[in-house]
Order: sequence, then structure tokens, then C-alpha cells
Amino acid sequence: MDKPTNIRNMSVIAHVDHGKSTLTDSLVSKAGIIASNKAGDMRFTDTRDDEKERGITIKSTAISMYFQVDKDDVSSIKQKTDGNEFLINLIDSPGHVDFSSEVTAALRVTDGALVVVDCVEGVCVQTETVLRQALTERIKPVVVINKVDRALLELQVTKEDLFQSFARTIESVNVIISTYHDEALGDVQIYPDKGTVAFGSGLHGWAFTLRQFANRYSKKFGVDKEKMMAKLWGDNFFNPATRKWSSKSNDADGKPLERAFNMFVLDPIFKIFDAVMNFKKDAIDPMLEKLDVKLTQEERALEGKALLKVVMRKFLPAGDSLLEMIVINLPSPATAQRYRVETLYEGPMDDESAIGIRNCDPAGPLVLYISKMVPTSDKGRFYAFGRIFSGTVRAGPKIRIQGPNYIPGKKDDLFVKSVQRTVLMMGRYVEPIEDCPAGNIIGLVGIDQFLLKSGTLTSSETAHNMKVMRFSVSPVVQVAVEVKNAADLPKLVEGLKRLSKSDPCVQAWISESGEHIVAGAGELHLEICLKDLEEDHAGVPLKKSPPVVPYRETVKTESSIVALSKSQNKHNRLYVKAMPIEEELSLAIEAGKVNSRDDYKIRARQLADDFGWDVTDARKIWCFGPDTTGPNLLVDVTKGVQYLNEIKDSCVAAFQWATKEGVCAEENMRGVRINILDVTLHTDAIHRGGGQIIPTCRRACYAACLLATPGLQEPVYLVEIQCPENAIGGIYSVLNKRRGQVFSEEQRPGTPMFTVKAYLPVMESFGFNGELRAATSGQAFPQMILDHWELMAGTPTEKGSKIEELVRNVRIRKGLKPDIPALDTYYDKL
Amino acid sequence: MAEASVFSTSGEDAITRTLDVHEEGPSNHSERDLLAYYEIGRTVDEIVKGGYKRVALQFPDELLHDSVPIYRLLRAKLGAAAQSTELYVLADTSYGSCCVDEVAAQHVDADAMVHYGHACMSQTSRLPVIYVFGRKDIDTDECVRQISECLSAAERQHETILLKVDVAYAHAADRIVSELRSSLSARTRLEFKSLPLKVEPERADSVQKPAADETGDAVSQTHYDAVLYVGGESLALTNLLMTHASAEVYSYDPSTSTARVESVKTNKLLMRRYAIVQRARDADVFGILVGTLGVASYLPLISHIRMALKRAQKKSYTISVGKLNPAKLANFLEIECFVIVACPENSVVEAKEFLRPIVTPYELEIALQSEPEWTGKYVLDFKEILSSSQQQKQQDVQSGEDGTEPEDTDQPIFSLVTGKYRHAKRYGGPDTTTSPTDSSSPSSALTLRNQDTALSVLSDSASAQFLQNRTFRGLETRLGEDAPSVLEQGRSGIARGYGDDHRPV
Repeated sequence: MDKPTNIRNMSVIAHVDHGKSTLTDSLVSKAGIIASNKAGDMRFTDTRDDEKERGITIKSTAISMYFQVDKDDVSSIKQKTDGNEFLINLIDSPGHVDFSSEVTAALRVTDGALVVVDCVEGVCVQTETVLRQALTERIKPVVVINKVDRALLELQVTKEDLFQSFARTIESVNVIISTYHDEALGDVQIYPDKGTVAFGSGLHGWAFTLRQFANRYSKKFGVDKEKMMAKLWGDNFFNPATRKWSSKSNDADGKPLERAFNMFVLDPIFKIFDAVMNFKKDAIDPMLEKLDVKLTQEERALEGKALLKVVMRKFLPAGDSLLEMIVINLPSPATAQRYRVETLYEGPMDDESAIGIRNCDPAGPLVLYISKMVPTSDKGRFYAFGRIFSGTVRAGPKIRIQGPNYIPGKKDDLFVKSVQRTVLMMGRYVEPIEDCPAGNIIGLVGIDQFLLKSGTLTSSETAHNMKVMRFSVSPVVQVAVEVKNAADLPKLVEGLKRLSKSDPCVQAWISESGEHIVAGAGELHLEICLKDLEEDHAGVPLKKSPPVVPYRETVKTESSIVALSKSQNKHNRLYVKAMPIEEELSLAIEAGKVNSRDDYKIRARQLADDFGWDVTDARKIWCFGPDTTGPNLLVDVTKGVQYLNEIKDSCVAAFQWATKEGVCAEENMRGVRINILDVTLHTDAIHRGGGQIIPTCRRACYAACLLATPGLQEPVYLVEIQCPENAIGGIYSVLNKRRGQVFSEEQRPGTPMFTVKAYLPVMESFGFNGELRAATSGQAFPQMILDHWELMAGTPTEKGSKIEELVRNVRIRKGLKPDIPALDTYYDKL
Repeated sequence: MAEASVFSTSGEDAITRTLDVHEEGPSNHSERDLLAYYEIGRTVDEIVKGGYKRVALQFPDELLHDSVPIYRLLRAKLGAAAQSTELYVLADTSYGSCCVDEVAAQHVDADAMVHYGHACMSQTSRLPVIYVFGRKDIDTDECVRQISECLSAAERQHETILLKVDVAYAHAADRIVSELRSSLSARTRLEFKSLPLKVEPERADSVQKPAADETGDAVSQTHYDAVLYVGGESLALTNLLMTHASAEVYSYDPSTSTARVESVKTNKLLMRRYAIVQRARDADVFGILVGTLGVASYLPLISHIRMALKRAQKKSYTISVGKLNPAKLANFLEIECFVIVACPENSVVEAKEFLRPIVTPYELEIALQSEPEWTGKYVLDFKEILSSSQQQKQQDVQSGEDGTEPEDTDQPIFSLVTGKYRHAKRYGGPDTTTSPTDSSSPSSALTLRNQDTALSVLSDSASAQFLQNRTFRGLETRLGEDAPSVLEQGRSGIARGYGDDHRPV
């Protein structure tokens, strides 16, 4: 723990049901926390009751383990190490897309990732999502191809087919890695011959990398281990007759040769499977002897799968091979923080905190990032869970707690408090610890009331914040909750606070009409959150509304005429036009690539270069909105207007207001650019104060939007469905009914499984799972992830259109007048 | 005046502009109707009986057209007393026309007032007031029949029922009550408090200590199962709905002769107010809007609010802007939430058009509590607010410092509006008596400019902090920073229409 070079912080990430938690069990059992024969069935890291019931992981769970590497293997570690003892901090994360935010929080505090891929299903949508996230966080991946037992037992593939399937999976992982390639991270593609890919079965508790086999054979062949590993993968063939290696699949006589991987690696495994599953009792014993596997008396009495498990576990223990792979290939904090500091830290790269992070210096200033809150057994209190990037944390001394809105030098969102206790997170238990140096993952007690979801802890007064995490999911499904009896209201409010704390993604707020809204990433996420809220956080019976979806208001064209609004005293006039912003720019703003806090000159350059803006216009962006960061822009394109700088603040305030509550349905606006063309102002300052300008500017924005063919955007999911061929018909019919659009349908080579990809409006996704299951007799499993905002056809200003009906319903729900205000409520005649 | 129109209008439109006034009063203007409708006889009797020398007649906009005939009739009826009695017509009230505008009456040094039209019946503090509500027609039989029908259609039996009557139908109230009593089952208790037609100002000493019977009255009010309201849709009905959220409210509109259950709307209204209360919780800088000068105990209430805000370490400014409109309030950008002190009917402001939320004093009390409480109880009466908070204070004193209070004061607050934590700004130290800076508190609201003409901020001032955030901070001398510019022809004309103004594009 005190040696940052001998720590590995890693997360286990994958698509849902690819076996993360099961595989994690093997690792945990290696550390002696659970009995090895229970590993695979226990899912130690699934701590919640509903996780156990549903068989999916919901919350990420951390666990710290001690591991000792063979002295011989230490030499293979390409980074600085100190001895052969290692501390591995592992975080098991959920695989369901709805809980991706948990993965993001886990990735932030780790340096490496164990990507689990199902050898039958291959790379799926969530595999790609989490891998992309990992790479943008500069996290080095290693891969384990899981469920090999399924391929052998259920699909009965041949050795060569299995090799091809492995190769394909690895290839597709590498494609993703190269797409999101980051110079600073170096080459992080995965190669079995370099030991960065493992194959195994979490359920049976066995796994191997080529290193294990190379170990065995290098002695036999008398070759160097590294060289042996290279031979064991790819187009390398061994000719047993000549005892020569060849890169051709035929020998000199044209006889087919067996691939080295198949011959040396798969063959023993296939033989064991064959012998055990076909009850060839007499063949087993000599084989075990050859492989140096010893069984106890009781184990010998086992048969079939049970025996297979025992044998394989003894032959290729998953814990050993995986931990070895992790230790050898994943970076230590000392290595990783050197290149991660740029993506982690907001401040200048040469201040004391940045230097402390870069060197992972336990004596440096404390810099600690809290990535999530973990509920304690004490109701309403949380462990602040995070990673120490620099310095040492201990109970007692006062430290600065900087929330996400902290700005260096200001006092907002800053608290100076001391930590009460520090603990190690061990799955379902915690282990108190005196102090903890840089590079470790830790839980802190006593500061939870100062942080909502995440934040930076530091001892340096000059320290900036660590960068906030960007989630790949956003809360697009909302429900309104209500207490059944009014006296429970305070409990609900407290519950909502706790709920927001306990989940990195969920949001809770109160709507204009006084409803308590809870928003989650998807139906499942919301269901879990509401269940937690009702049973745990608030503990009172609740009424829930049917789910609703937020929309975004936008414009489709430029305003047909210049919109004019006069102030109440008629002495000030604003001339304004609205026009759409191209989707790429909206996305860039939402992703934070174009930021309101950037220097305006740099931003102008970027807008001109990447989005074809006029530089002078781009320099005169007054603000972003809503919340000063959203994807709507207020641009000053006036020429020579007197006193204009005086009304800027008023216009900015009005723009925030207008973009937060759009003109059609009072939803947020998105992708709208408002140009202020000209302004007439009263010569006396008192007559052009905020009181005159703010309402006027808001009205002008509304008028401009009404004149620019207002449109509505709705959130759309990307749906990926895995199913057998006969279920495809059912999928299509369900998707058609729900305005879904299929854009890809592929058969996974070597399997009867098809992958259907489609876009499905979030609005239509409620109950989709159930209906799909019914239509395909339970053979299709969809995964839905928010993909984009799609412009809906038509405009709300057209009477009798579908979209007008929709806006009307939204307005009624919000308690507004059902009709969209007419243009002349906002547009003034000169 | 052709040339004048370039720069300004001839002023003609100010005269011809039509105001959105809904004319009320009797349909035809015959003398007999007026006499009956405006109760001229009673008014005269009261004036003579009180021996008032200067009487102000206050008219709302919608009755102003009848002011002259009424004045004439009063003069004529006063007869002999007319010589010694002066009458004045007051119009265009500073706040709501439902309130008695005592300040305007004091301009003419009046010793009594006659208030015409709809009234909110708030207790006044200075002058005796004679109320003339106007007698609107009502078919009492129909009214009683409809209401009984409504009540019998209700799911449960109502034990106690409160009857409220719009002031314009007050003249028929007694008949309605007696007929309703006879038609309702014996178990049901119908309560009705008749409206006073003349109100004396409240004594100064009774303002100081909120009378015990008043609070007792308030408590008993909450027990009504149902509330009957006779009158059209109005703010009074809305307030009734809010203050009696637990009861079922039935209304009968005499103009359309229909009765209906109103309670359905209540929840939505209250929830909307609840959302506004949440926004008030998030505010650090408050503006206390003086919306009345007539309602009794408005001054103690304002000082009470000030104290409450100070205790909660919030900044408060007291503002009087007359009738509210968005433009007036938007001039105070630094204020994050307004508290309005006005008569009950003008208190609940639907703040959709306003930039900042506007809350009532009761809502503020809730917002300042650490535990959000929203039981559906709603109070608009000043006295009730004052007395309940006083009771609470006493309780606080009795319970003493239990040690429950010393929670960490800097703890961030979970804001329900944004769903995030909010770090509240605090103005004024927790114990103001000890800190030396606060003794000179008036000066701490100023921001000093040091020699470099840069602003030096005093941490305690909300407006100075706000100024820091603005991009435009008034004229700055940027000596040597700007190149001298070429003299240009400026704009000609006046603000109403400049010479270079745009024509519609």
C-alpha cells in the first residue's frame, strides 16, 4: 500500500451478462476472501438483495486484494516495481447500460480495466461504450474472453473454429481501441501473444493466458518464455515430425499442420473436456498426472460438470492467471498518473498539485477525487469513495472539500473540514485504516454531507478541481413522485437528497408545477431508484406517475422576418433573429468541447475552423444557455450601438430564462442561435435598466423562435438486440409498432445469433422490454442507450398536427394554457 | 401637429387609449337604482352618526363612472349636514383597489372613508371605514337549491360547514343562511360570520399583543369539513381554496346560477406554491415588497420578516413599488426572491411573468425552516403569522438549547430546484451583537473604491458581490486604453422615436 509502484487499481467492465461479477469471484477467492469452491456461484460483489434476485449488478463494488507474483515473473513487468507483493484494488461494475454512470465513476479511480467479453456473443454495444469511456479516461485495457466452457459444451466447436472466434473477438476489440486511440497512452491494443488477453470461464473458475502455457512449454522446448508466447498465437504451426516451427499451414509435403495455439493450448483443454464429459474415467487419471493436477479423495468421486470444474480449476486457476495478467500488464498508479494528470486535473500542469499527481507523491499536497457515495449501514450517511492521487489522507487534519462548482480563489462550494475516519472498501465489508497514501482507493467517513455526488479533496489552497466526470448516459426518463400522506413530505425530500447522493446519474428536482421529479437513464434504472427511494431512502409509501420524456425545443429555419420587441416603456427596442445551430456544434457544446468558459478568442478560432462560423460573430457570443452552458447561443451582431455593453447582463439573464423555458412547451431549448441584429436604447440609463430589458429580451427571443418554424427534438435510444434468427420477425413487428427504425442486422459469425440494431424513440420505449419478450417468446434481450436527439417531423405551430397535439399535452401537464402563445404576445409592431 | 408626430405623438392616444376596465355596477343609472345599489341612505346615516367632517370616497376603477352621481346623491341626502361635511373622491389606488387606501385619504386629511366595491376586508389601522359593497342580484332560492344538491351529492356527510359570501352578495347572506339551515340535516352545523359594514380602526395596544381570541378563532377554523362560497370566480375564492385546503369547497356563481366543487383545483394551486417555496429556500437575498399601507399590523410584520431573515443570515432589502409589474421588479436583479406584504387578496402573485419568485410571509416562514414542512395548511392573515411565530419563539425559549441546533452551519443545502447541493451565502455573522463590523452596519452595505478605481469588496454586501459579477459596472475611465475615436454625428430625436429609427423590415 505504501509502494505506489506495487498497486494496481483496476475495474472490471463489460456488457451485461458477460460474467463480470462471476469472474470477479475467482479473483476474490484467490485473495482468500471466499472459498474457492464457492467462487462463481456467490457473486461476492453483488451486495444488494435486488442484485442477487435479478442476477445483475446495479452498483459498482470495490474490493482490495493482496497478491504475490512468482519471483520469475517479476522480470516481465515492464514498469518499475519493488518486490513481488502487490495490492490490487478491484472494482466490479454493472454491465447494464442503464447503470453506465457507475462504470464511469469506477473508471475514474482506476488505471486499468479488465474487459470481459463473452466468447459466444462477442463485442456488444456496452462493451464498446465502456471501452470508449476507459480509453478517453486514459485507462489501459486487458481482455478476458469469458464463457469458453459454453463454446465447448453447448456449441461443440472445433479447435480451429474456436481459434477463429477468439481472433475475431480480439480483432473487433482492437478496432474499437484504435478508433479511440490516444497518443499519450501509447499502444494499448491487445495481443494474446503479449499476454494481454486471457481465455477462461468465470463460472468454472478457470482461465489462462498464453503465459501459463508458455511457462510449461518453454522448459520443455528450451526456448525463452517470451518467444514461446509469440509462437503460441497467430499463424504459427508446429510440425511434430520435424519438430520445426513454420508460418505456413501446410508442411513441405502439403499435409495440413495444426496451429500451435490449437495444438499446445486448446488440445489439452479439449481432451479434458472430452474425457470428463464423456465419462472416460480411465483417460482422466494419466492426463491429470501429466498436467500435474492433484485431486483429493472426495474430488475424485465427482463426475461430469462438477469434476470438470474441479479439474480445470486446479489446472488453470482463474485467480492466478488473471491477477498475474493484471499485475504484469496494467499500469501502477505511479506509471499511470504520469500520463493521466492532463486528463484529470483542471488546473495548470506546473502547480504543486499537478506535480504531486504526476509523481503520485505520498508526501505531496493531498489531492483526492471522490467519484461516488456508498451508503453505509448507518441510515442516511455515506462513505465518500474515491482515489488519492497525491499526498496522504488521514483522519484529523482539516482539508478543503471542493464541490463541482468551486472556482479557485472563490469561496463558493468550498468547505474546510476534517475527515473522521478512513476505511478500505472490501465489497460488503469495510476495513478501518489509519492513513492512506497516494495511489490508493479509499472510503472516507464524515464528509458526506458536504458533497452531493463527487468532488475534489485537497490540502493545497491553490489546487483546482479534478475534472468532472462525463457520463455516457443522461437522465431522459422522468417520473413524478408524490407522498401518499402529506405529513411524509419532509421524508420524501430527505429521501430524494439521499437518492441523488447514492447514484451518480439520477437527478431529482421539483418542477414548476410543484411535482417532485426523479429522472433516470432508463426504465430499469428508474425502477431501481424508485424502489430504493420508497423502501430505503425515504421509507414512505409513494405515488408514481407514468414515465414522461423531456423534449428539446429548437428552430428549423432562420426567422422569416426580424422579430421586434419593445420594452414596457416603449423606449427600448430589440431586433432579433433566431436560426438553428448545426447538430455537430450542439453536440460539441454538450460534450464540453466548445465551452462557455474557454477564452473567447480561442473559441472563436475553433468555431471558425470546425463549424464554419464567421470569426467576428464567433467572438461576439454573449452567452450560452440555459444554465450558461447549454447548446444555445446569444450572439451580438449589431454594429455601432451605443450603450450596448450596459444591457449585456440583462440580455444574458433573459436568455437563460428563455432557453430554460422555450416558447412552445416550456421545455429546454437546444440548438438555437439568437442573433441580436440591432438595438434602440433610451438615452437615460434609468429607462434602459434590467427591468425594461429583461422582459423585452425574453419576449424578443420567443418571437424570433416562433418566426423561425419552431421544432421539437425527442431523445432516441440506440437499441441492440441479440436474438436467434426465428425471433427477428417478432422484433421487427414490435419495433414497427413503436416508430423504431432498424439500421443494421448482422449474424454473428459462427453462431446462430443475430444482432439487430435500431433507433427507438425513448417515448416509445416504455414497456418495450416486456412486449419484445412476449413477441419473441423470451429469446430477445434489448439493450438501450441514449443515442441522440432527433428532430420530430412537423412544427407545433401548425394547427392540428401531431406535434401540436403533443405540445398541447405537455402544456396541460405543466398546468399551462393548452395553446401555444400567439406571435403577437411577443412580437411588437413598430 | 404633423411635425410633432416625427418626434412624439400629440398625446392624443393617452386620451383615446382604452383601458381594460370591466364596468360593473347597476345596469341602468336611474336614481332609484343607484340609491339602492350603493346604499346611499345607510352611508349618509353613518356619516351623520359619526359626525365626520371630511369623508373620502374610494372607488375602484370599474366603479369610477358612478362616482359623480353618487357624490351628488350623497350631498343631496346629507342635507343640512352637507354644509359642514366635505366629500372627496379618491381613485387610482396605490396598491389593490380592494384595500382601503388610508394614505390617500390622509392627503385630504379625511376622518372617515367610504370604500366602494369589492373589498378584501383587511383590518385597517387609522381610519374608520364604511363599506359599500354594492348589492348584486341573487336568486336565493336557486342558490340554496343548487348548493344543497351539491352537498347531497358529496360522498361523505359534512359535519360543520362554513359559509362565505362574496361581499357583493352580503345583503342576501342572512336569507341564504336561514334557508340553508332549514334544508340541511340537523347534524350539520352551518357557520356564518356576517360581514361588518363599518369598521373602526384597530386600537394601537391590540396590535402589540395579538389577541388570544383571534388565535383561538384561527384554530377553530381548521375544523370545517366543507366551505360554501357564494360568488363568482375571484381572488377571494382562490384564497379560500388555499387556506381551507383540507376542506371541500363548493362554490355557487350567482351570475351563471351554477354550483360546483372547487377543491380539485386546490391541489394544483398549492403544489405550485410549494414549488415557489422551494425556490425561496434557495435564495440568499430577499426583497420585502411593501404592497399595502392600510392593512393593520403590516409594520410589525415587515419588521418581523426582517428579523427572521436576519436570523437566517439572509440579506433583505425593503422596497415599495406600488402595483407590481415584471419591469419594476426586474430592476432589482440582485434580489433572488421577493416577499410581498399585502392584503390577502393581493398576496398570492402568480409569478410566471416575473423573473424572480414572489412569496407570501407565511411561505417565507416555511422556506426559512430547516425542515421542509408542507402540510397543506396555508395562512394569509398577518396576525396569525405573527402570533404563530411568536408562539414558536416561546416554545423555542422553553425548550432551550437542546443541543439539537448546533448542526454544522456551513453544511450545504440540498436544493430541490436544481437537484444539487447549494452552498448558501451568509450575510451577517451568526451573533450580530458581538461582531464589531455590524455595529456600523449601514456602511457595510457600501462598496469602496480604492485609489486604483478598482472595487474593493466588503464581503458582507450582497449588492457589491452582484456588481462584481456584472460585466458592465458603470462608466470606467480607461485612460490610455482606448484610441481616441472620430467625432460622429449622433442620433437625433427623442426616445419615443429617433430620427434613425427602423421601419419594419
